[in-house]
Amino acid sequence: MSVFMDLNIIAIADKAKLQSTIETAAHLGYSTVAINYVVEGQQKKQLIPKPQPVAELFEKFPIVQGKSRPIKVLNRLTVVVTDASHFRLANAYKDFDILAVFPKTEKLFHAACMTYDVDIICIAATEKQPFHCKRSPVNGAIERGVHFEISYTAAIRDSTMKKYTIANAINLMTTCKGKNVIVASGAEAPLEMRGPYDIANLGLVFGLSEGDAKAAVSTNCRSVVLHGETRATALGIIHTMKRPQPPSEQPEEETPAAKKAKTETD
Amino acid sequence: MEEKSASYERVVYKNPSEYHYMKIHLVLENADTSISAEEFKYLIISGLKDLYGEVGAAIPFDVLTFDQTALSAILRVFNSGLVKLWSALTLTGSYANKPCAFRVTQVSPFLLALSGNSREMEV
Amino acid sequence: MSPDLGKCSRSLLTCEKSNFLNEQSRHEVHVSRHCFNYKISLLLPECEVLPVRVENVIHNFSSYYLVRDLPVYKFLEEKWLATVVKKGSFYALSCKTRIDEDNVCALLPSGQLILSLDKDTYEHLGLEGRPSLYSHKKVMRYVVSVDLTNKSLVPGTKRYQQVLLCLKERVMLRSDFLLTTCHPGADKDGALHNLLSQYTYEECRPTLHSQTLKNLFCPSLHHSDLRGKGLSCTPNQFLEWLGAVNLNISCDNSAVSFLSTYMCPEPRAPVSQSVLCTVTGLIPPKDVCRLLKELRCYFAEPNFAAWVSLTVHGFVDCPVSWGAAEHGFFKGGENLYNFVCFKNQDYWLYKATGSEDACPP
Repeated sequence: MSVFMDLNIIAIADKAKLQSTIETAAHLGYSTVAINYVVEGQQKKQLIPKPQPVAELFEKFPIVQGKSRPIKVLNRLTVVVTDASHFRLANAYKDFDILAVFPKTEKLFHAACMTYDVDIICIAATEKQPFHCKRSPVNGAIERGVHFEISYTAAIRDSTMKKYTIANAINLMTTCKGKNVIVASGAEAPLEMRGPYDIANLGLVFGLSEGDAKAAVSTNCRSVVLHGETRATALGIIHTMKRPQPPSEQPEEETPAAKKAKTETD
Repeated sequence: MEEKSASYERVVYKNPSEYHYMKIHLVLENADTSISAEEFKYLIISGLKDLYGEVGAAIPFDVLTFDQTALSAILRVFNSGLVKLWSALTLTGSYANKPCAFRVTQVSPFLLALSGNSREMEV
Repeated sequence: MSPDLGKCSRSLLTCEKSNFLNEQSRHEVHVSRHCFNYKISLLLPECEVLPVRVENVIHNFSSYYLVRDLPVYKFLEEKWLATVVKKGSFYALSCKTRIDEDNVCALLPSGQLILSLDKDTYEHLGLEGRPSLYSHKKVMRYVVSVDLTNKSLVPGTKRYQQVLLCLKERVMLRSDFLLTTCHPGADKDGALHNLLSQYTYEECRPTLHSQTLKNLFCPSLHHSDLRGKGLSCTPNQFLEWLGAVNLNISCDNSAVSFLSTYMCPEPRAPVSQSVLCTVTGLIPPKDVCRLLKELRCYFAEPNFAAWVSLTVHGFVDCPVSWGAAEHGFFKGGENLYNFVCFKNQDYWLYKATGSEDACPP
């Protein structure tokens, strides 16, 4: 498993509260969080918001619980699309580390899975998903390395939302078999955050297996972040560096494993 | 009166414990709110009921300790009820119409393990 | 198709019974193979204060050091190898690193350097290892093991250069470390201090905490009945009760109580006073052995106790549990053992592990 992440902390105007939420995330053991800017049904002329530079958030970033390093904060944009015209070329969103889309119709869900250059597709939490997550688009998204996100804050706020969140999650799991799923908070306040092991357990209720549930707050989030990095450059990062070689090039008992490209997002 | 010692014996148990134990604490928005052990348990039961209905509310669990100042507790639950109890705690979001959150510090099938968690070491 | 919500991940408990005087008794081996001990808990029923001799043993426990930001390759440097590693009895464990998320490093007294690495670090490092036994669908963790006492790994050899290059230049692995050498007086010449002096470090003493518990119900244990067929309670009931005592949990509830129905297992007897003593730090196995020896002598003097208990908790984020057996953390990383010592030098030894551990030896 890799470090724990919560890739959905809602960007709110109240800076102190946002800071406090991020502090809570660090205290709960999350190593990386993403501040999520949500835009709805945007017309062509409307401007896409510019994210706050992350460095301005804290003078000193909070230290992750049990570690010696500070929390890493990313910026994320979620585009809610009710019409195909709402989603633009990925270049328009280049200011964000992670790009998510929340499709409201089956047709848009299909398009998001098969063609949109995004990292995350959001699954409804505050209403019954109005369409089925069909196998072919879901598999298409998985093949492209796109992840599905279930957020749990609505389920904490309201009893009815609990049912929607769980039902939508279980529906998705029967199709995707637990692959490429991330679970994130969607929190706007510290008391809406839950710890990574809590979520690994909650994932079981969503229909994930034990291993998949823990991957949904760690390994899969790492894949999303890497997917975002490669999307940002459109081509992927190729990272080469000259290194002094060991004195001999004869075959040794230990073969270096450092041959895989850094961009692998699996 | 030395008794004669017996010969070597070894036995291995898989999933020896029928219980799991949880170390938890409750965080309230207003830190001054006072809450009794009984109210604390009721809050958890209502979380279970909210998520799993009457059958959930009937899942037996013990509040082995409760610290009224820290609002911390140790719970004991049958293995079969652990996932449900834990998820109910996770999705509990309010107490007396005010936001709250249960923080789970440790979960183990061995109560003894809760008394020696190296993640609590301060270095 | 959703998974069964009634299932839990597996845990294991081994129980064995033997006698300290038995030549084949492996109690010291078991203790010495559990390298990284975080906490010891001692329960002496029918005892008013911690016996002076026991207290002395604890006061003579080795110090340990907390070193900040120490690069792992330092262990390979000539003076380190010569001064501490090759002499044996040197223990080092990275701290503030979590075995299910981060890179964790441990140096065993055998001179084995164990690196439990995430996929990215492993691929950049270029030292050969094997996938973690507790991998999920994708392998995200690898374990690299380097034997620093191996002849091919002396300064100057190709292999040595390669390992040094990997740890120094490819990936500069560094972390805070807890370390200890457990020979008292082994550091007479201050060699270790010299090595550490380039870094921020502090010497720490294990913390002792002792209390007297009054009017406790204790399980009655009979040395012949390990499995709990009537003369003793079951192993699991006993361990649960020990946990309850350590956590100050009330053991006299009624079956109809709303809050808790927990009760001390039967057969049991009231004990007017008992001593509960805990020691926390990085405690090397040799110190545990000394304490165990002292406990065996405890019965030489007249007292009413039928048994005494010694619990040892391992570090949950350690890459090994017993010997070099891989240890992991899924939702818990418990690895602990417990001795129950009887008057006639019989003992029971319990060893417990969680879901990411092999069966204890």
